[in-house]
Amino acid sequence: MEIDLSDLREMHPRLPEDLALVMIGRAALSLQSNGHASPVDIRLDVDGTVTHGGLTWPSSDSDFLEQHDSKRLTEDGAEAIALALSYQARGWRVVRRMQQGESADWLLEGPSKGTRQRIALEVSGVARGSITSRLTEKLAQVTKSEDVDEQWAGIVGFEEPVTALRSSKVVRP
Amino acid sequence: MSTDLLNTLVTGAIWRAEQLEEQGVGSVPLAWAEVSSLEEKLATALPASQPEGRIARRGAVRAALRAGNFSRAQALTERFLAEKEATQTLRAALRQLLEEDASALAGRFHHATKTVNEARSLARWLQEGGAFGLAA
Repeated sequence: MEIDLSDLREMHPRLPEDLALVMIGRAALSLQSNGHASPVDIRLDVDGTVTHGGLTWPSSDSDFLEQHDSKRLTEDGAEAIALALSYQARGWRVVRRMQQGESADWLLEGPSKGTRQRIALEVSGVARGSITSRLTEKLAQVTKSEDVDEQWAGIVGFEEPVTALRSSKVVRP
Repeated sequence: MSTDLLNTLVTGAIWRAEQLEEQGVGSVPLAWAEVSSLEEKLATALPASQPEGRIARRGAVRAALRAGNFSRAQALTERFLAEKEATQTLRAALRQLLEEDASALAGRFHHATKTVNEARSLARWLQEGGAFGLAA
């Protein structure tokens, strides 16, 4: 699977253009600050099925790194990559962002057996090191989200590029 | 305004408010007030019987509280509770939002709890009745 972050807005037409551009720029800076250049190999884990793919992004001038808060750099960058994978792996599109307290960052929608499914997606980024413990933490969080059919966590690691998209396996009636 | 456009606008508004809040910028309450207004518009467009309608109703109240506007949060809650389509889960969640906010405030200003409650009652009375209660 090839993921091109330049296509993020086409994948998610309800994503505000300015927000999409910032997210892509922050993903680029997070990857570049870890020594990666576009395109890069990325490990893709979609509900336990692991494959390798390519990740491409428009380069961002690292001279502007200091304009960004380091936490937002990692989190917003992770959102760009997790949302791109959600669309490419599952065909899910953004409906809206959710507020803190809803136990998820995004409400997505996607077709499943001819019906519209609502998916809660909680996203987080890890600048350095393993994503395993963060994945466990975020899966526990997203299970508390209400009024959705499925609950998923998307974690992105930037040191060795990796994205995991995992379901909580709780399917509400 | 279409719900698609409202969803795009509320997404941008939430994101801006979160960014400002993390930086401790003084205009954060205004940003959350914008979010609350957009969530209210979504709540008007989407019935409480729909999941997105329930998310919007919780969002309108939650953002009003984050904006520091308790009287608006309370008024919205009462309006949403009065809706026939409101589920028991939604009703409980809306009441819980107000209770948690009150508890948090009481925790922060332990010795002023009574005064805070009186101030909120006064704010609500003024909002409902206007200055001097003339509109009541």
